[in-house]
Amino acid sequence: MRSDPSETGGLFVGRRPGTAPTHFRTPPERGSSVRQRVDGSLANILVAAITVLSLLCWGPIPVACLWIGSQIDYLSGSVSIGILSAFVALFALLFGALSLMRRLDNAWILVRRAAGHDQRTGILGRVFAITAAVCALIVLFWFVVIHGPGNSLVSSGGET
Amino acid sequence: MGLLDYYKQFEGMTEEEVKVELREEAAERRRKALARVETLDLSQTTWPELPNPRIVNAITYVARRGLYRYPHLQGSTLRNELAARHGLNDPARLILGNGAAELLSAATRALIEPGQQLLTYWPSYPLYPIMARRAHGRAQRVAGGVDELLEAAREEHARVIALASPNDPTGELLPTDQLRQLLEGLPDNVAVLLDESLVEFSDAQPHNSSLELLEDHPRLLVFRSFSKAWGLAGLRIGYAIGGPRSGDLLAELEPDLGVSEVSQAGALEALRSCSELIECRTRELCAERLRLIAALRERRYEVSDSQANFLWVAHPKLAGAELAARLTQAGVLVASGDALGEPRHVRIALHRASTSERLLGALDKIL
Repeated sequence: MRSDPSETGGLFVGRRPGTAPTHFRTPPERGSSVRQRVDGSLANILVAAITVLSLLCWGPIPVACLWIGSQIDYLSGSVSIGILSAFVALFALLFGALSLMRRLDNAWILVRRAAGHDQRTGILGRVFAITAAVCALIVLFWFVVIHGPGNSLVSSGGET
Repeated sequence: MGLLDYYKQFEGMTEEEVKVELREEAAERRRKALARVETLDLSQTTWPELPNPRIVNAITYVARRGLYRYPHLQGSTLRNELAARHGLNDPARLILGNGAAELLSAATRALIEPGQQLLTYWPSYPLYPIMARRAHGRAQRVAGGVDELLEAAREEHARVIALASPNDPTGELLPTDQLRQLLEGLPDNVAVLLDESLVEFSDAQPHNSSLELLEDHPRLLVFRSFSKAWGLAGLRIGYAIGGPRSGDLLAELEPDLGVSEVSQAGALEALRSCSELIECRTRELCAERLRLIAALRERRYEVSDSQANFLWVAHPKLAGAELAARLTQAGVLVASGDALGEPRHVRIALHRASTSERLLGALDKIL
């Protein structure tokens, strides 16, 4: 019996994107329902880990790299070396974090499938976009309200 | 299974891997399809090719136009076309039927009274004895030639002679002079039903030569079919031609509600647009028939002088059923002579040179 709604019996060439069935090398043996529930929780933990790592990319890691740069600038007495080392550290940490997130994302797909879901794509893109938006709002709030032009205007107004 | 292995089994194949696997599967399917050799069916006497698209178009047109209504009872257009083709001055001497076999049965029922005899050569078309039985008559199988047939016809109860020319299953043609001799020697009360369903495949004499006898012999009826050389067996359409004074008998044979309009349309289109194709087809078949007869005789087979689209073949040692069974194992179906009245023989249909080659190859392989 036909069970794939995109299977047109050869009437059209190709499939709608994302509707291709997942091909496994051998049909997987699913665990018990308890194990599937545990896998569902594990998948949520993995998403949380990806989210934390993603948030690190938008604040803590750049700040840490600036701190490293400043320390090297102080120790070497060279601003250029400080800036260079800050950039090197930034790229290394960012790419390291991205690579780790990618691995976690792949693991998340497998764990989701083990939990009984027809998981075809990862969640990394969505998490990255949401955390970027959240961080951008935080930075905007900090820049405009806490430390930005508003604050300067208030203080310059006081001096005159 | 370890923890990592458990999760790894949910890892899908990459797109490239899937494509490679699909390509391999397709190649395997193709390999199997090419390796499979379909059985060659040489057991049927009908023509094996699909009908010409023009015939199919004509049938489709008529079907879409008016399947809700009854057909034209007498099929005048087709009758006129056939009459012109056979040089008949009066189309009323020709009637249409749902196949030549049905017309032959109707003629037997019309002519034979309970207890009377239908004479026929044997082996011949297996329908003839059945026709006699259905008409509450008896079939008398006659071995030999015209003289033996004439002698049997002088019996008190003889009423009808049913002859196939070319004969199924032997393929032998009844020459016109022998037919004339038969008609001239018959008692007045005996009619001859001449079944010429396969006559288009013959090349020994003109196809209309028997029709010329109709003028002088009112007891002769000739039956033709679109099922064989014309390749329209599925339409079930044939016709009967009688002499100038056969109108009453022909009227008795005619189907009560006529012949399907779809069948008439197919037959008419075949006459109008496929006559040359049929001539070409039969010309090629006649050449192939000579070649295959020679090839079989070279291999010591007994082969009758066929004028039909099949050969009546016997192996010097093997029974027909055994030969047919061995050929079936080699992928070639032929009709065993058991059911056709002569257990030593098999009937082998002729198609084209490639099928003859395959048949000869199978014969060489099994013996």
